[in-house]
Amino acid sequence: MNRRVVITGAGVISSVGFGVDEFWRHCLQAKSVVTPVPSHWNRYADLHSRVWSPLPDIDFESSGITRIERLQLDPVSVFAIEAAHEALGRAGYTLRAAAGKSRTFIISDIDPSRFGVYLGTGIGGAYSFLHNHAHHLYERPRAIIVDYAKKRAPAENQQVLSDIATFMMHGPRFNPFVVSMLMPNAVSAAVGIKFSLTGPNLTYCVACASGTVAVGNAYRAVRDGHVDVAVSGGSEYLADDHGAILRGFDVAGTLVRDYTDPETANRPFDRDRSGFLFSQGGAAVLVLEELEHARRRGVTPIAEVVGFAETFDAHSMMSLAPGGEQIERMIRAALADADLTPRDVDYVNAHGTGTKNNDQTEAEVIDRVFGQSVRVNSTKSLIGHTIGASGAIEALVTALSLRDGMTHVCKNLVDPVIDLNFVRVVERFDPSVGLSQSFAFGGHNAAVVLRRFE
Amino acid sequence: MTVECAEASFRMQFPQPANSKPMNVQQRVLKTISDVLNRGESEIRLDASLRDDLQASSLDQMTLFIVLEDEFQRTIPQEEIADLRTVKDVVDFINKKLQETPQT
Repeated sequence: MNRRVVITGAGVISSVGFGVDEFWRHCLQAKSVVTPVPSHWNRYADLHSRVWSPLPDIDFESSGITRIERLQLDPVSVFAIEAAHEALGRAGYTLRAAAGKSRTFIISDIDPSRFGVYLGTGIGGAYSFLHNHAHHLYERPRAIIVDYAKKRAPAENQQVLSDIATFMMHGPRFNPFVVSMLMPNAVSAAVGIKFSLTGPNLTYCVACASGTVAVGNAYRAVRDGHVDVAVSGGSEYLADDHGAILRGFDVAGTLVRDYTDPETANRPFDRDRSGFLFSQGGAAVLVLEELEHARRRGVTPIAEVVGFAETFDAHSMMSLAPGGEQIERMIRAALADADLTPRDVDYVNAHGTGTKNNDQTEAEVIDRVFGQSVRVNSTKSLIGHTIGASGAIEALVTALSLRDGMTHVCKNLVDPVIDLNFVRVVERFDPSVGLSQSFAFGGHNAAVVLRRFE
Repeated sequence: MTVECAEASFRMQFPQPANSKPMNVQQRVLKTISDVLNRGESEIRLDASLRDDLQASSLDQMTLFIVLEDEFQRTIPQEEIADLRTVKDVVDFINKKLQETPQT
């Protein structure tokens, strides 16, 4: 008989809140943060999308993440540690400093070999890659230009030399830890090291589906007995010094284009949507735990994970297959895994990016499989797209919605592409089962099914 | 969390805790060595050898110098630190660096 898997703790970093309580309160208030991108990014390219959803300042020191670690880890790994620290604490685990290695923790009264780490990221340490690459490319030529400007350049050339030197700005060092900062697997490795966990340790790189795939595989690992507890979720950091990561999504035509009113620019499932809102990043970690293991510790689960499935479009690197046949197959497989049918589902946390292609196809599939019987929202309508973190953040929203019997609105939705049962107001309902789905560049589809814990 | 653009460098801005009391250069170097090597500040004597007495591995020394770069906002090229052996060598090197080069 399969073991039951429950979520016993969670942690989150997002543009609308740091920590589960603030995040969820702000989600229910439909809070969003939309600001112009850092102004100097506009010097490097004529960007079509010049707004983003930036993160708040975060006090990592209070979670035991020291400056020493922050200088040796990409922000994507720092975020993962931070969210895991919150999640393990909320799950009731006691952390103590490891003897002789004061920067790492040991979790009291556990078998660390039965704890796995399953985290997703879309681009891993791309920030560190680009940051150090700029230093590699620009340090010497910039020094030559600055030296020439100081010693020999005629007065009429000073301005242009200064302009070029400004363009070639770079960080102060080529970091000797750059390889371990940029490698995607640093995300799960950093968490395993920080909390001294010696079970399976995996980083899933599946673009926008990374978080969902990580949570889903963690669920399977606990259910099938490979581990008793899984630290699962996703993390992403999407800013870089020169705005190149945003530019990549911008030239692909995926980002919000019509932002005359930044507050309403991001509008998943609306006929007037124009692309997704770029996020600075974020992270969410869910502690998945075998039910008896959780019961012995006396903790109350947030929700239960009961199903998971993944399919692949085999169609296009950047575009959903029209008709969404593989998405439908995925939904039905995830429900079959949970021994449920579409009629049992009350709530769907949609991928809902706000791109023309995604929302049309996704709405068609939801309409076909569920019709009006499920409430639908898009967490990206509040926080924008956090790529590899998004699936984990949305699984968290699904869990909290089931726990509290209410969920956030699908923000800025006026004229829906298809008239599904979109969440327009925050009100009590009685959800028993929720499904959270993600679709990724490449063609990966994944969904997790959660049930209210009884 | 701001992405800064300054004349001399880009830098990811993480909020730093305020120092409780101002320290001189030597105290800051000793504190940094103590933090990086996880040793009590009393163990960090000026004549202690980084490698032999404090058992700092090459990885520890790499870490020490990126943290010192951050602490003092100076770039420290690896070739300049190859010959530093003792804690006092590091203190003297940092003092010299602070006098010679502008903040990065």
